[in-house]
Amino acid sequence: MSHVERPHLKHVLHTVSVLEAVVLRSFGPDGGQVLFTRDTGQVMLSRSGTRILTALRLEHPLARMVVECVWKHTAVTGDGSKNFILLLASLLRVIHTAACKRCNVSHTYSSREAMENATARHLADTLLAFGLEELGDVISTGVVPYGGVLSWEDPSAHAVPAHTNKDMHTLQKLLTAFFHTRLGHTYCDFFSRLTCEFLSCWKCEDKAPSYLLHLIDDNFSVLHTPVSGFPVSCSRVIEGQVIHRDFSTPFSWTNNQPVKAVVFSGHLHPDAHKAGAVLELRGGERGVLRYTSCTERSLECVITTLQSLGVSLLLCAVKQSEAVLALAGLSGMCVVDFLFHRYIHMSFHDSEIKPHSLVICGAGEGQTDQCACAFQDALRMLHTTWEPMHTTATTAAKSILHSGKSRSPSSKPPLQKNVLNPGCVVPVGGTFEFLLHHALLQHDTGIPALSRLLADALLCVPQQIYSHSPRRYLQTQTLVTNYIELRVGHCRKVDFKSDVFTLDSGVESVSCKYKLILAVLQCLSSLLRLDAVLHTHTPLHKQACRHSSSSLEDTEEGDED
Amino acid sequence: MKVIQARRERQDKISKLMGEYLLKGYKMLGECCELCGTILLQDKQQKNYCVSCQELDSDIDKDNPALNAQAALSQVRERQLAAQPPAPSQTHTLNGGPSTSQCSGSVPQPRPEHCEGAAAGLRGPLPAPAVPASAAPAPNKVLASTYPPTVPSGSLSSSSAQHSVLDDAQDAILTKLRWATSQLQSSASVEASIQLCSLIASCAQSLRSLKELNQ
Repeated sequence: MSHVERPHLKHVLHTVSVLEAVVLRSFGPDGGQVLFTRDTGQVMLSRSGTRILTALRLEHPLARMVVECVWKHTAVTGDGSKNFILLLASLLRVIHTAACKRCNVSHTYSSREAMENATARHLADTLLAFGLEELGDVISTGVVPYGGVLSWEDPSAHAVPAHTNKDMHTLQKLLTAFFHTRLGHTYCDFFSRLTCEFLSCWKCEDKAPSYLLHLIDDNFSVLHTPVSGFPVSCSRVIEGQVIHRDFSTPFSWTNNQPVKAVVFSGHLHPDAHKAGAVLELRGGERGVLRYTSCTERSLECVITTLQSLGVSLLLCAVKQSEAVLALAGLSGMCVVDFLFHRYIHMSFHDSEIKPHSLVICGAGEGQTDQCACAFQDALRMLHTTWEPMHTTATTAAKSILHSGKSRSPSSKPPLQKNVLNPGCVVPVGGTFEFLLHHALLQHDTGIPALSRLLADALLCVPQQIYSHSPRRYLQTQTLVTNYIELRVGHCRKVDFKSDVFTLDSGVESVSCKYKLILAVLQCLSSLLRLDAVLHTHTPLHKQACRHSSSSLEDTEEGDED
Repeated sequence: MKVIQARRERQDKISKLMGEYLLKGYKMLGECCELCGTILLQDKQQKNYCVSCQELDSDIDKDNPALNAQAALSQVRERQLAAQPPAPSQTHTLNGGPSTSQCSGSVPQPRPEHCEGAAAGLRGPLPAPAVPASAAPAPNKVLASTYPPTVPSGSLSSSSAQHSVLDDAQDAILTKLRWATSQLQSSASVEASIQLCSLIASCAQSLRSLKELNQ
């Protein structure tokens, strides 16, 4: 049996508010950690909003939809999951307030509820269109000039005082601020230095930073080795590659000579004894014996060829047959296949690219896993930071969003492009939100109320950061406003740094923030476009539960709906 | 506007409580409570739980004298304070504060924390009352209904005494009603307003019952 439910605006707001209450306690540099435990004793320690939300037991369809959006966003950007929920809740509140006000005026719709839903949907769609078309320009003109640009030239360089390097700031400040929110004050500097050291080892002159970061992120599972039972400070970067496999045949390396290795992705010896295999015999009574000898001779040929090439190490992605292992052993070759008992450390000499591996240590499995996840998210955050973003949509995208509507005479030309320079950063602590709030209020748009909606919603982030100190909130807001007015008044020729803009206390990426706002607006629009929720009793598709693989939910509950 | 703000505060409280329960391992269901529309939670014993109905509303019950002995004793104390001074001074009780402080030194009143034994007695077999003698009869005579605690006496058998008791009860309730109304007008807290409204509703129900008894 199934029933239909029509989600009302207040239900959506209520659902998101509950998720907001979950992540609020972990929000900000002083946020707490959440320790999840299973009956089996397995623990998960995290301050990541994504991990916390995906570990919750959620059957509510709207809640699952929001968590799915958060997961997808952070899978790309690596950061901003808690900000996502905060901003989404804040936008829903301002839209709810605006919709209620409009309902008091108009009585066109048959019911107040339908009127509120329609108003909210319209506002969300309009906000999304604004975000896709104009927000990038607002950020380029109203936020970027007040920040700085990170340098990729020397990732391992130490911090440079702001007054000696006006616009270029090192990578460490960005990473320190990031790790502070994920791992706390104790290890943020350590992991920041470790990340810079790791990236400097992989640095390649002819490759863009975004390519390198993407490569490392894609292969992070094999480029790092989690080791529990050691202090976090024992984490290090080691030269070479650590393979999470063991030798299937004895290996001896006594003369310290370079080793030639070959990588196999399949089976060297075809296994004809598997269920379902069809063996076609031709020619004579000795067909089976003839087939066996044939395959053995082909294997001997392969091994002989490898031996002639001087190969002494076979790296196999699948488990090889006993015949392969025996022949390889007799020929003096070592095989590494599917066994998983120890680690093998290999280094590569005289190669153009020297791969390095990361050993991440932690007192327990939970802490080690937390550090490893934070490290990978940092790579994604860096990748997003250095990815150039074109901030203005083309005419084709605009026509989809504004079909049937006439363009206002004050709109900009359709193909005007602005590019957010890679590496743009602003100081942490709500500076981005304050700057964008101010820029939106000054922005000349056809719908002033829309800018006001987004501007007001953005302030939720600094309000939460300074929830324990309203005085600091006002101080920061005043500093930002004064800095803007002073800089505009001097036509940007005066070189000075206020307390807010020293960029020494930590920075955050403008690109990440921009992508976050776009993702939130997209999720908001999707939520409010829902006309009906169908409750069925069929099991969920397994693919829909892929983001719950790290959760502590029982798998049985995940299949019910 | 105040109503909207009050609703928002209540919703925020519900959301905060639900967030805490989710972190404790409760499951957020795809269903809503039939009474209040709040999203239902489910614990690990498969028992559904509505935060609004089962937790938030129960906070209001602690000030309902029919359900909470401490509230009942507080009401008795206030009634006695109101009854102690002469009639003109009863008007001061509408403001609450001055007469209370005026009379607090003259009449020894039981403090709510001394009434735990009486509070436990409401829900089970009545133990020996652990309250001072001045308020001792009151918890023993509390009715299991919405009636506020009445003045205990041994003269319920005579109709005139019964009539005076009912009148006294009616006066006490009216006094409390007036006081609650004045507090409600000046209240700036949502929870206090909700509790005062509940008290007013209880007083009205009690008055109706007293009038039925008088008939």
